[in-house]
Amino acid sequence: MSDVTLRDVRKSFGAVEIIKGVDLDIKSGEFVVFVGPSGCGKSTLLRMVAGLETISSGELEIGGERMNEVDPSQRGIAMVFQSYALYPHMTVRENMGFALRFAKLSKEEIRKQVDEAARILELEPLMDRKPKALSGGQRQRVAIGRAIVRHPKVFLFDEPLSNLDAELRVHMRIEIAKLHRNLGATIVYVTHDQVEAMTLADKIVVLRSGIVEQVGAPLELYDNPANLFVAGFIGSPKMNFLKGEIDGGSAGRADVRLPDFGGAVVPVALKGDAPAAGTPVTLGIRPSQFADDGDAALPVTVDMMEHLGAETLIYARSAASDLVTIASPTRPNIQIGDTLTARFPSSGALLFDANGKRIY
Amino acid sequence: MTSYGLKQRFSSVVVYAFLGVMAFLSIFPFLWMVIGATNTTSDIIKGKMSFGESLLLNATTFFTQVNAPLIFWNSAKITIIATVLTLLISSLAGYGFEIFASRFREKLYTLMLLTLMIPFAALMIPLFMLMGKLGLINTHIAVVLPTVASAFIIFYFRQSTKAFPHELRDAARVDGLKEWQIFFLIYMPVMRSTYAAAFIIVFMTVWNSYLWPLVVLQSNDTKTITLVISSLGSAYYPDYGAVMIGTVLATIPTLFVFFAMQRQFVEGMLGSVK
Repeated sequence: MSDVTLRDVRKSFGAVEIIKGVDLDIKSGEFVVFVGPSGCGKSTLLRMVAGLETISSGELEIGGERMNEVDPSQRGIAMVFQSYALYPHMTVRENMGFALRFAKLSKEEIRKQVDEAARILELEPLMDRKPKALSGGQRQRVAIGRAIVRHPKVFLFDEPLSNLDAELRVHMRIEIAKLHRNLGATIVYVTHDQVEAMTLADKIVVLRSGIVEQVGAPLELYDNPANLFVAGFIGSPKMNFLKGEIDGGSAGRADVRLPDFGGAVVPVALKGDAPAAGTPVTLGIRPSQFADDGDAALPVTVDMMEHLGAETLIYARSAASDLVTIASPTRPNIQIGDTLTARFPSSGALLFDANGKRIY
Repeated sequence: MTSYGLKQRFSSVVVYAFLGVMAFLSIFPFLWMVIGATNTTSDIIKGKMSFGESLLLNATTFFTQVNAPLIFWNSAKITIIATVLTLLISSLAGYGFEIFASRFREKLYTLMLLTLMIPFAALMIPLFMLMGKLGLINTHIAVVLPTVASAFIIFYFRQSTKAFPHELRDAARVDGLKEWQIFFLIYMPVMRSTYAAAFIIVFMTVWNSYLWPLVVLQSNDTKTITLVISSLGSAYYPDYGAVMIGTVLATIPTLFVFFAMQRQFVEGMLGSVK
């Protein structure tokens, strides 16, 4: 049992509340990613789970036991830090076995467990080196190895790939995903990189200013964001937000007029009734949803283009200078300054009210 | 040559001339001391600046007049104990000031730094009275005690601790270490260059200290090398050759410590953690 449960967990530094009441259920074996912009409180929340920050109020349970006042080493967690936090005066072997020494394991047992972790992470040739003689990726593997040997109930990762270059980051991301599959452990992972979140997570927790904005599977968050913030944060390139107003509609449908795009009207499917005519709304459309056979049309002028090989990103503007990003899977024969009609299926558009909340 | 080139050359000449004078002023006392150790008192007074033939004679006089093993032992004992205790206590304080936040931390720290402005002469009498009440006059403990909580070394350790990665402390806590274990098993080895630099500073200060030992050490069997050399120099007919031999011998331990730890000293002054 390695469930992690947070109930109305709060954290204040003096008068400033950083974490404003988080409720969360993490099931045993789940890979959960805390994602959000800098300063949203994701690392603080992770440190509270680790026991490195005290919990001001609320309840934290790991494996069904209350952990609020329990020492970090007794919580059954292991943590991998952004800077790796390897002890510079110890060899790789000593670093990996250090926690076990304090758990009072025999030398033989420590050696066995360290060797096993080294084998899993292919660290055998590096065991007698000091951290300064290792590359960034190797240090990261040692940091993970140090966590593995403790056989924790929960692994905590605090932006572990931020210090690596782009290529190594992709490689390590795959390694961590494999590790999760092989160990079947519960993992709580903090990142500000939504690509890492999308590729690794079973469940993503989107945080903003100490509040959980939405919790869900990566594709659920991508397809059905609860608000503008989540819609904008999940997905790369970012979702386009077009200002509009309700022009009319009926049960199950709202007609949205886009004044900045020559008054184009887009019919958007809804579960409930359409808001009253004249209500200001925001229409959300992902760059990848633009397609030649779309029923909605936006007149735009090409401002900038990025040729990425597999796709082309077209940055275009409306007559009122509203920016629209279009991701084309082809290599369109267009030039900067060209005027074109960007089409998308209205069924794929999302609608948000003036407060940024999704209108379903 | 362009006027820019001339200007550059002129400024180089000025810089090197200044550095040359400074180097001479630094080296001259050492040179004079070493040359003096080989000359007779009358040659030294005359200002002879070449090596003489009286080295053995001076050494014999010095070792006859002075119980050298005892005074070196006194100096070494005081210096090593004071240095180890100062490093331990002051680094603990510096680490504590930086790592543990409290409402009074900065006020206390400022107050401590203010003590650096009090001249030792002003502290000497109350300290002497305190040592008298504790019954420690004429003991080596009286020399060691006032040095062990050094405001300057605490300041130095606090500044160096700013570069100590906090994540190492977090990792150690997750690994199950208690605060004192983090200090001894993680902080101390990681900050060894800082300790080396502080070791040299404290070692030299204590080894060369004169005024306070002069006040509290009253019998000959407790005196340190600096006191004994000074008393040789202030005799009615001082033998400067013997004084120079004593000074040369007294310089050797500090030179040894400095050269043995020179690399760490430079690293420590630049910052321990890379």
